[in-house]
Amino acid sequence: MTQNELHNQQLVKEAEIAAMQYHTRRHFIKESAMGLGALALGYLFDGCGSKSTAADNSLFDAANPLAPKPPMFPGKAKSVIFIHMAGAPSQLELFSYKPELSKLDGQDCPQSLLEGKKFAFIRGVPKMLGPQAAFKQYGQSGMWLSDNLPHLSTVVDEIAMLQAVTTDQFNHAPAQLLMHSGSARQGRPSMGSWVTYGLGSENKNLPGFVVLTSGGNNPDAGKAIWGSGFLPSVYQGVQCRSEGDPVLFIKDPNGMDRDIRKASIEAINKINQDEYTEYKDPEILSRIAQYEMAYKMQVSVPEVMNISDEPAYIHEMYGTKPGEANFANNVLLARKLVEKGVRFVQLFDWGWDTHGDSANAAIEVGLINKCRSVDKPITALLLDLKQRGLLDETLVVWGAEFGRTPMRENRDGKTMPFKGRDHHGEAFSMWMAGGGIKGGITYGETDEIGYSIVNGKTEAFDIQATILNQLGFDHEKLTYESQGRPFRLTDVYGKVIREIIA
Amino acid sequence: MNTFNTISEFIGHFHPVLVHLPIGILLIAVLFYFLSFNEKYKTLRTSIAVALFWGMLSAVVSCISGFLLSQSGNYDQAIVSKHQWLGIATAVVSVATYFLHNKNSNHLKWAMPVMALSIIITGHLGGTLTHGEGYLTESFSKKEDSKIIMKPIADIQQAVVYSDIVQPVLQSGCYSCHGPNKQKGKLRLDEPSFIDKGGKTGKSIVPGNISESEIIKRISLPIDNEDHMPPKQKPQLSAAQIELLNWWVLSGADYHKKVAELKQPEKIKPVLASLQAGGQKDFTILSDVPEKPTAPAPESILNELRNLDVAVNAVAKNSNYLSVNFVAVDSVTDKQLRLIKQLDKEIIWLKLGSIKISDTVLAAVGRLANLTRLHLNGTNINDKGLLYLKNLTRLQYLNLSGTNVTAEGIANLERLKNLKQLYLYHSNTTAASFTKIKSLFPGVLIDTGGYTVRFLATDTMLVKPTTVKQ
Repeated sequence: MTQNELHNQQLVKEAEIAAMQYHTRRHFIKESAMGLGALALGYLFDGCGSKSTAADNSLFDAANPLAPKPPMFPGKAKSVIFIHMAGAPSQLELFSYKPELSKLDGQDCPQSLLEGKKFAFIRGVPKMLGPQAAFKQYGQSGMWLSDNLPHLSTVVDEIAMLQAVTTDQFNHAPAQLLMHSGSARQGRPSMGSWVTYGLGSENKNLPGFVVLTSGGNNPDAGKAIWGSGFLPSVYQGVQCRSEGDPVLFIKDPNGMDRDIRKASIEAINKINQDEYTEYKDPEILSRIAQYEMAYKMQVSVPEVMNISDEPAYIHEMYGTKPGEANFANNVLLARKLVEKGVRFVQLFDWGWDTHGDSANAAIEVGLINKCRSVDKPITALLLDLKQRGLLDETLVVWGAEFGRTPMRENRDGKTMPFKGRDHHGEAFSMWMAGGGIKGGITYGETDEIGYSIVNGKTEAFDIQATILNQLGFDHEKLTYESQGRPFRLTDVYGKVIREIIA
Repeated sequence: MNTFNTISEFIGHFHPVLVHLPIGILLIAVLFYFLSFNEKYKTLRTSIAVALFWGMLSAVVSCISGFLLSQSGNYDQAIVSKHQWLGIATAVVSVATYFLHNKNSNHLKWAMPVMALSIIITGHLGGTLTHGEGYLTESFSKKEDSKIIMKPIADIQQAVVYSDIVQPVLQSGCYSCHGPNKQKGKLRLDEPSFIDKGGKTGKSIVPGNISESEIIKRISLPIDNEDHMPPKQKPQLSAAQIELLNWWVLSGADYHKKVAELKQPEKIKPVLASLQAGGQKDFTILSDVPEKPTAPAPESILNELRNLDVAVNAVAKNSNYLSVNFVAVDSVTDKQLRLIKQLDKEIIWLKLGSIKISDTVLAAVGRLANLTRLHLNGTNINDKGLLYLKNLTRLQYLNLSGTNVTAEGIANLERLKNLKQLYLYHSNTTAASFTKIKSLFPGVLIDTGGYTVRFLATDTMLVKPTTVKQ
């Protein structure tokens, strides 16, 4: 044997010995001690995601996921109506009075405002665009409001205006997701889902979280903004329609009467129950609960969603037209749902994206028309809730995903056919009313052209924290265990805006 | 430098544990020493050297950790200094005793008692640092009510906001941990300059901004939050006191201005009036949940009600008071009524909106002693039915909208002194009787509704583009 062969043989032998060592008792005991020790340590420390802690903190009762639950502390608000103007209206033509901006109208935007900033459509140096509406002070509080909202001006003393809301997103879908789920990316539960997870549904015949859309389109972020994310799917928003069947396919098909329907649902639930006994997947229980809810909703939803029974003076007040699909009808429905114990009603109205690229998206045309379609119903909602003694316990939130620039949009560097403004996340306005919120107060301030925040900065997380607080939740404590760690609506941010709480 | 500080503070935190070693071990040495004079315990003599050695060693370690802890500056420096020097003295005495024992010296019979005495005194000072001055005899002195109460002021409008109102609140609620003796979180609140300086977590107050003011933030947190102040087990500030601090910070946190010089919103007026000498003493901001806790209702009753489609729930997780809602049913059945009657102390919020109710139901409702919120809107209640409600003296919210009640019936509710909101929209009350109702319930928000939204021609008009530029 050559030196080389001998060497190779030696190597093979060593490898064989090493391999055999892996099969020895000694190796087994040594290695298992390490592994078991690590397991034991993890168990001792009761680490994140261990079953016991997750189960202790979860408010999810698989057997009865929608049963009403108490909040952490007595909440001032029992229900929330969140009115979202999808597309983002211009704060500069509605709530944010900036006389200085009109002096700059038509001038080139100073470089200092553009440096390091990114816009959705503005390129190069845009021109400044003065306010395209007249402002006046209203109410005892003297709140500034534009003439685009003549009706709302009569109820300013009921609302708390947030003038310095901000977001770091400048496109619709992510900004909407951030506002409603606390994350600009998909996958997190929406606010309404968190609320139903925390409080359940007061009315066992109705879902706790209902969504109504108007304006001809769903919001850009799609149904994810009322999705349940990693929460059990029983907490997702139920989208209803104000025209035709409120929920698609809610009627029993021809030849199927209610008894047969009941029997078939019972049979399906029985199969699902067996499935659950075998696999213990809580989603199966959610499924059963959803079947039962759907069965009850066949009766309860058409009843509550029927606005034609409302008296004429109510229709006059809201500007509603039974049988149509419009925002006003949705607002009236929101009141009816809240009266029936629904916790969270989400209204989306599409068509506020006023870039100036068409008449409908023009500040001098489309925006005014949009305002006219919402001004009366929203005002009626506040007054109607008030006279029914419900404003006291219903929190109304009005807002959008972001605001609009004080500059006129110049898409691709060209002048647009109409007056329009680009997306602007840095500073915009929202308001809240009722549900233990102070009326006639303004919180936060922006600079003299409404471009940046001066004080009272309010993020989506702060709004979410405040909404949860009014419902009786500490936003830091309302958590759900997912992927090995507890999640909450406000992530690691958010502070309750105490200044606006009565 | 920073990591060094963190580590030294970390070691310092072991001081309260470590000190117990020399206390125990050295005192055992002293005990054994004196016992060993007795023939019966003679054998203990051999153990004394071991005990002294380890006691001495642990005394030195305790001194070091104690020194590191004192660097955090959270404690009253005067007591810390005494405690520190006596501690060092104890360590020195223990070292000396160890060597005296090794030399079998005669002085041991003096050294041992001296050591024991210095341990006791040092220990007591240590206790004072953690538990506050006079902690030892605290249980003998008269026990104060756990609620913080303020002295009345002769003329409230002339009182200095800070020294007459704010300071007493801080003194009773905060000084024990953030005062001259202790500065937890490096925060001291007994002087304006200290308050302005703030603590470890930041500014304690930001004038005019309650969201940024750490004090307000902490006292407003729910009591179960770990950052809530005062800590859960300590006496709590009342809602009125929190309101006073809020008001002071919101109006600029001035240290010299008088009450009359500050703007007084509606909300603060009754609170201020309660501080006035001769004013209503036991003023508390009326909450719709009673302050006095109640015993939990039997779960079986609650479940039975739930099975009968009545939504019944605690108003909050930490409360046994109940909120009951008949939203999913059309009328109250006898079975439901029987169960409701058993919850006459616990139910504080009741919603009977838009259902058929009988006199027996109203009679049962009239016996819910703690009821604060009652919805009877859209029910068939009439003036006669209202008579059942006349003893619900805790009632704050009453919704009678959409019912047949009239002004005469409502007049029977005169005794509801805590009533704050009364809703009469679409009831049988006339505009003429409204003034009469108003005079019967001064200060009560009475809403007869009937609001309208103006008709504007523009509501239904669409703006058309005037000129289309290319």
